[in-house]
Amino acid sequence: MTLADYKYADTIHRCFRCGYCKFPVNWMDVNNCPAYARFRMETYSCGGRLWLTRAWLSGEIDWSDHLAEILYSCTACKNCEVKCPLRFNVDILNMIIAAKSEMVEAGRIPSSVKKFLENIQRQGNPYGHPRVKRGEWMEGTGIEPYQGHDFLYYVGCVGSYDTRAQEVARALGKVMQKAGVSFGVLGNDENCDGNEVNKLGEETLFEMLAEENVAQFKKLGIQKVVTLSPHSYNAMKNDYPMFNGDFNVMHYIQLLDGLLGDDRLDISGGYNATVTYHDPCFLGRWNNEYEAPRNVLKAIPGIQLIEMERNRDSTLCCGGGGGNFYIDLLGGSERSPARIRVREAHATGAGILAVACPNCLTMFEDAVKAEGLEEELAVRDVSEIVAEACGIK
Amino acid sequence: MDIIACIKRVCDTSEADAIKIDSSQRDIEKSGLAFKINDWDEYALEAALQLKEKLGGTITAVTVGPQEWNDILRRALAMGADTGIRIDHDVASEDPYIVALILKTVIQRLPHDLVLFGAQSEDFGSGQLGAMVAEMLGIPHATLVVSLEAEENKIHISRELEAGTLESYTIELPALLTIHTGINQPRYISLGGIKKAMEKELQVMSPNDLGLSVDMLIPMVKLKRLELPPKGKEAELITGQPEATAGQLAKTLKEAGIF
Repeated sequence: MTLADYKYADTIHRCFRCGYCKFPVNWMDVNNCPAYARFRMETYSCGGRLWLTRAWLSGEIDWSDHLAEILYSCTACKNCEVKCPLRFNVDILNMIIAAKSEMVEAGRIPSSVKKFLENIQRQGNPYGHPRVKRGEWMEGTGIEPYQGHDFLYYVGCVGSYDTRAQEVARALGKVMQKAGVSFGVLGNDENCDGNEVNKLGEETLFEMLAEENVAQFKKLGIQKVVTLSPHSYNAMKNDYPMFNGDFNVMHYIQLLDGLLGDDRLDISGGYNATVTYHDPCFLGRWNNEYEAPRNVLKAIPGIQLIEMERNRDSTLCCGGGGGNFYIDLLGGSERSPARIRVREAHATGAGILAVACPNCLTMFEDAVKAEGLEEELAVRDVSEIVAEACGIK
Repeated sequence: MDIIACIKRVCDTSEADAIKIDSSQRDIEKSGLAFKINDWDEYALEAALQLKEKLGGTITAVTVGPQEWNDILRRALAMGADTGIRIDHDVASEDPYIVALILKTVIQRLPHDLVLFGAQSEDFGSGQLGAMVAEMLGIPHATLVVSLEAEENKIHISRELEAGTLESYTIELPALLTIHTGINQPRYISLGGIKKAMEKELQVMSPNDLGLSVDMLIPMVKLKRLELPPKGKEAELITGQPEATAGQLAKTLKEAGIF
């Protein structure tokens, strides 16, 4: 691959590294690119990556493990794209993903990324857990396999396999049961949604996953999908239409917002806590959904909602996007984005850090422990908070 | 340099409780399992690719197995092997001698400067195959190779001994090496690469095509029975405040004779 063959050969040089890509919309901190916050080197910012990509493709530098790690430490949080003042900003993240694709095709990717993708090839999930265990999370919940229900409840890999995220998957299931929502799940037949695969540059694997999922949904007559994870929501809403997957997709927070509006959830049990809400990248910056989670939290009696300074499109990514909840190129430091973020949440005085994404949940759970804040700050998914307000045990 | 890499298909055993013994008690239940190239063999393939990138030549990937084993040859081709050969013979729970005999017969017919094996298989793990084939071919070999550097007619290698001690040799070619994990970092095999490899033709032959009759392939060792290891005692979880649990842990360890 040479620069001339690269899809963005005509535009990549336009980045002159003004450095805006590291800032949030409100300019309050230079560290809003999670990888830059972790390593504090220009190479880890979007501009740095673009210059390195250009140097690599034009033969000025060789591929190296370090170069691959720099590209794969991008969490695809879209902060750079939102902040970049230039007109070609719509493509700056795609330029990095396209460079990752080149590395995938050459087979030269960090070993943790290799493992992540191989596990999905074999078992349909990044952990490499057997497909036959995917539905174990729902044992004893009474949640039904999908059979002509109004909604497919798509749980995703993290909700299906991560023990903490499984609690959230069950909590949401119970809330929907209580509200009388007609929904079913795919259990062991559910496959990876492919959102992270796509952002890691494995285009063909993503195409296969999307095509298989679309075919499966259509065969079952599924029209409406509610997802636990914003990552699944993003892939199904924005990418599946390219594979004839024109489903009515919503993230669960939008469903809950609607259910509360229709008075179908009795949340009179309330939830007495000061709560701060973290906007997940794939719900916020990627899909512009900032109000539904706040509506839900504000509607619950007893909740005092306070904002972190970096919120909505200025949110700081938890560091788990772009597969980093597993490949973990940003971990191991007090400057890891998840740890910075829980310190920020703690500084608001909130006792609860609310999330609406299983990836953010697992990242922050670990970060709270690493920061020694277990006694002062708890991480809860909004669905768990709603479940408690509904009196669901 | 013409290199032959011998590879095996094994199941993904990342979760041991997914493995069940089938009713014959000589094989595992394969439904629901995912399969892949044996780990050690992937390192051997990567070593072959790196030699080819440096010195030129060809790589032939060879396997002995039934039709479903074609998938590992496709992966080897996607990785960069030039040719894939499968000898159609069901080797499940087979005597390594028979597999060695088949491989030796194929390799003899192919140009080869270097023959690479993984040091062992993830499933049966006998580690015998490479050494057997080398003896049958009458070429020098080294096992458990952790580094290699090739010249035109010879190869410098190190092999790993106990406690990480290294032993170094220079070996005249043709030679056979069994490759240890960690010698390199096998490249990722993209799905796009596998799709392209689907267009390449595989060579399939039977033992009979190689002049090996049924009576030559009677195993000397027969697998009697497979068993899962007995379950250990349940773990004991000690909960509570550290001040109390530390004492309880010390007591438990003392009772168990640990100290």
